[in-house]
Amino acid sequence: MSTNGTGPTIVLDGEKVTFTPGETVYEAATRHGKDIPTLCYDPRLEPFGGCRLCVVEVEGARAPVASCTAQCQAGMEVRTRSARVEVHRRTLMEMLVSENREVDVDELTSLASQEMTELVDRYEARTGRFRGRQSGASRPDDPNPFIMRDYDNCISCYRCVRVCAEQEGDYAISVKGRGFDTQITVEFDGHLKESACTFCGQCVQTCPTGALGDLKALAYRDVAGETKKTRTVCPYCGVGCAVDLLTRGNTLIGVQPAMDGPANKGALCVKGQFAFDFVQHPDRLARPLVRGEDGELHEAGWDEALDRAAEGFLRVRERYGRHAVYGVASGRAPHEAAYTMQKFIRGGFGTNHIDNCSRA
Amino acid sequence: MTDQEILARWKEEPAPLLPVLHALHARDGYLSEDAIRAVSRGLGIPLADLYGTITFYHHFARVPGGLDCPRVCTGPVCVQEGARDILADLAAEDATGMPCSGRCDDPVPVIRSHLTLAGRSAADLVARPAPLPPPAPEGAAECVFRTIREPGHATLDGYRRDGGYEGLARAVREMTPAQVVEAIDRSGLAGRGGAGFPTGRKWRAVAEARGTPKSIVCNADEGEPGCFKDRALMDYDPHAVIEGMIVSGYATGAHRGFIYLRYEYPETEHILAEAIREAEEAGILGPSVMGGSFAFDLHIRRGAGAYICGEETSLLNSMEGKHPFPRNRPPFPVTHGFENLPTVVNNVETLASVPHILALGAEWYAGLGMNGHAGTKVISLSGDILRPGNYEVPMGFPLERLLYDRAGGPFEGRAIQAVTMAGLSGGFLAGDDLFVTLDEPAIRARKSFLGAGGIMVFDDSRDMVGVAHAAMEFFAHESCGKCFPCRIGTQRLTERLAGEAGPDALVAWVDEVADIGYTMKETSACGLGTAAPLITESLMRYFPEAVSRHVAAHGALPMAGRGSGGPHGTEP
Repeated sequence: MSTNGTGPTIVLDGEKVTFTPGETVYEAATRHGKDIPTLCYDPRLEPFGGCRLCVVEVEGARAPVASCTAQCQAGMEVRTRSARVEVHRRTLMEMLVSENREVDVDELTSLASQEMTELVDRYEARTGRFRGRQSGASRPDDPNPFIMRDYDNCISCYRCVRVCAEQEGDYAISVKGRGFDTQITVEFDGHLKESACTFCGQCVQTCPTGALGDLKALAYRDVAGETKKTRTVCPYCGVGCAVDLLTRGNTLIGVQPAMDGPANKGALCVKGQFAFDFVQHPDRLARPLVRGEDGELHEAGWDEALDRAAEGFLRVRERYGRHAVYGVASGRAPHEAAYTMQKFIRGGFGTNHIDNCSRA
Repeated sequence: MTDQEILARWKEEPAPLLPVLHALHARDGYLSEDAIRAVSRGLGIPLADLYGTITFYHHFARVPGGLDCPRVCTGPVCVQEGARDILADLAAEDATGMPCSGRCDDPVPVIRSHLTLAGRSAADLVARPAPLPPPAPEGAAECVFRTIREPGHATLDGYRRDGGYEGLARAVREMTPAQVVEAIDRSGLAGRGGAGFPTGRKWRAVAEARGTPKSIVCNADEGEPGCFKDRALMDYDPHAVIEGMIVSGYATGAHRGFIYLRYEYPETEHILAEAIREAEEAGILGPSVMGGSFAFDLHIRRGAGAYICGEETSLLNSMEGKHPFPRNRPPFPVTHGFENLPTVVNNVETLASVPHILALGAEWYAGLGMNGHAGTKVISLSGDILRPGNYEVPMGFPLERLLYDRAGGPFEGRAIQAVTMAGLSGGFLAGDDLFVTLDEPAIRARKSFLGAGGIMVFDDSRDMVGVAHAAMEFFAHESCGKCFPCRIGTQRLTERLAGEAGPDALVAWVDEVADIGYTMKETSACGLGTAAPLITESLMRYFPEAVSRHVAAHGALPMAGRGSGGPHGTEP
């Protein structure tokens, strides 16, 4: 922490702390360990100031101010957890509960999908107050295989719209109508497939309520066992996006972007996000096949298959030289296999004719 | 005109989106999918974004023929004057309701295509000019209405005959920009759109701000129900608004101005356009204002039906073709306004006061007020009152004198039960609080505010819970959807006032309504959400018995309007 007393300071819950000019109250408070609730905030996006859960008391201000949009001013006295702002936060959470079909959604729905549930519980907001019409209309008619559009659970934080515009640059979705009738939509209320959507899944992963869901992962919701997360790097291309693979037992059930991935900061593309079916696809080769005299492929043992392959490679090298071999590793292979493959081609044959379909 | 011709006409102009959409809307009678796609390509706005923005506005029709379908004002006064019957009688023409369209002194307005009709029944609808302000008593202290009733005053000749453009001439020939700012400062003129920010300070901030081009924006998006003063000023004194804008440009170093005019004043657009044409021809607008070296161009941009666009940062987003959510502040428009450059945003009445101040002096203007308050305020008075209309009164004028002396009091055999303040967003005043003076400190002490100066009168025949419900329904309809407390709160309060939802027990009902209101007031992102709960707050303060009857009856609300058939609970 940079409380070295050199820069300008604010008083945060009674403690003098430094801030960097331009830093918002929310950023400074978070940096100093305060847990200010918010639902419209995503650190990658421009501060929006929509949910108002992050309101704090500032000495001298008539009403609480949204800490996500307010910049620190030297000498500011901020109270992040006063009774007054906690009352507003609870009321706001009760209001949110009242507008949605449900509060509890499957953890596989998306990376951020538990944010609202956690705040509902923190503020004990399951009181049943403020009942009334629900907002948002789900789009079960959208036939895309990746993104569940369950807007009955939407709270109009617009993180999806903003991440699509600010992070992804696709501008595929926007806000239709206004007030309680706002609805997340593509042009002319169509399906995502006909829009500018690239199915990168950014909207899904930042949705704090489960209104947008990862259909691929949710298809595995009935697989038993604890969900384990394994950090790895997406093999599909050369960017090197950090991902967390979700597994239960021996089954790969989903992929989530790593918000702290240095290359991607939570971004992924459709392949890295959704294209993992091949791992446990029934068509995937589990045993080697060897072409017989009849011209057809037949299942074979590993020794037989490796012998046949080695024989063929050696024959080619013998006849045409070491540069006659060209290896192309698959982007769907694990990194260890890709590494082994290039060792095999470079070390084994003595050629640099090695490539990977992920080089793009 | 083809799509391409329309796009070419506007593409190089500032703030092109709204004029392009209006041109296509007028050409086709609605905004077709093809037209929207062409605009997206032509102006480089992502299609989904553009579609969402178009749906934000109330008045852009999306079905063929939609432009010609009548829109009937279902504002608080008009529903009491037969709006529901008119709506029903015009059902065959696919008539729809619209929020208050600013003709409460001559109800009920019906907009058909580009024409405003008015009448108290479908059979009586005629196109006629909106009313002039009623005559003022001899010696009344007036500023903006001082010369407005003179015949022909809206023309350049008439305006000049009545002393118009003398203030501008003095400013550009004899005063430095700093001296103009100084004069406005000394006059005590403050924002007449409701916020009351000192005009001189705003101009000075823009004059001192870095970045060009700077802009002067006239906020003519008079969307507050019960407010129709800016309409009268623009219709009968358009040159005063233009003169005020040029002076503001001279004082701040801005060379371009925009009048953001609400959709609901189609005739006003023509009046302003004609006045601008006259001023350009006379060399008052253009590259050499009054023959000097100062240049100023003026553009009209027409809104499309969104109350929130009267909020200055929503207005700026709307002009820029963005989704009209309010912006987070700071930074303020004085440094980061239109296109993120220094911008004056002033209300019509504020700007129309400027020529008079320059012509007659800052001290004259400051001296018009009462009890130490500076200047005057136009009050749009309507509802259950004998002589509705726009009244310019000294700041600090007693409300009672306005209601009874100037406007004739309630109808025969009736008594005034309550009035609204700030149009609608100040909530109600009733009982002893009707003896207030018309200035911010006095009204704020009664937990309301003067705002833009609309006052609607409700006599003792009215069901105040029904009136409150219609008011809250308006705020819910106009809530932009950006911040949670307003988006959900206006909806929940509307449902509770309609008896559609909420606890059966009075204590729990009052708790819910008060808790929602408290959080809206303290945490909403803009004035709509912070003001809307004044409706429920003042209802519960002045009319607790009516509230308890309402909660007991739960859903069996009496009708809001006297003799206005039909329930009040439908969409505006």
